[in-house]
Amino acid sequence: MTTRETFANDAMSHAPQLFSTAMRMTRNRADAEDLVQETFVKAWRAFDSYQQGTNLRAWLFRIMTNTYINKYHAKQRRPQETELDDVEELFLYRRLGAIDQSRISPSAEDQMMALFTDDDIKRALEDLPETFRLPVLLSDVEGFSYKEIAEMTGVPIGTVMSRLHRGRKAMQKLLYEFAKDRGLVDESRLEDN
Amino acid sequence: MADCKETLDELYRYLDSELSPGRADEIVSHLKVCTDCQGAFEFHADLHRVIREKSRTDDISPAFLDNLRSCFGDDVLGSNSGA
Repeated sequence: MTTRETFANDAMSHAPQLFSTAMRMTRNRADAEDLVQETFVKAWRAFDSYQQGTNLRAWLFRIMTNTYINKYHAKQRRPQETELDDVEELFLYRRLGAIDQSRISPSAEDQMMALFTDDDIKRALEDLPETFRLPVLLSDVEGFSYKEIAEMTGVPIGTVMSRLHRGRKAMQKLLYEFAKDRGLVDESRLEDN
Repeated sequence: MADCKETLDELYRYLDSELSPGRADEIVSHLKVCTDCQGAFEFHADLHRVIREKSRTDDISPAFLDNLRSCFGDDVLGSNSGA
């Protein structure tokens, strides 16, 4: 297999993850497909600049994140939100006592997996303001380091850490609200400390 | 050894593997002796896992995969359908 074939096959192996993150970034399938396709076109054109043996996955995500910021960010229907209400530390963990475990499938071995649906998780990610959504996606979903996220998004590491921290708290609050909407929360069970 | 406040303040950085080895060891030492902090750690580790697994369940169409393969040219990957 030639180097180009290896590159193309390796890139295709990352397509599902790129697509899922693109879906969370753009919040619609058509734009997500366009974004990933544009990423692959750019990656192929830049093949000669890719250093063999280095992290192809990170390289592709950097191209995609950069493309998203430069192109799709301007198309957002909602005005870019940079403000986020401050949320208590360990928000969801401190409210575990309010969650009625008996309403989750009693046979579920993994209570956490049973507590939230796939749609809950996706909606919570997509409802985050873009400024906070990108670092949460790149860290919590894709596992990139703070340094990698800083390079991908073009902001200092300290800013990445701050946005990640606030974005995660906001996501926990959203998930708690979804659990409430599904009748899984009984706040009378919380004790006043 | 780290105390509860320090451990909870640095919990995310520990989960993200962003602490120095020495500091991570201090957090681990505290988690071994503190069931409250251990509980918080396990909860957030589980939540990370759930977020990662449940956010990656999007269907990807064979036609879209074919479009992606075509980005590399038919002579590189051919035009096989399917993942």
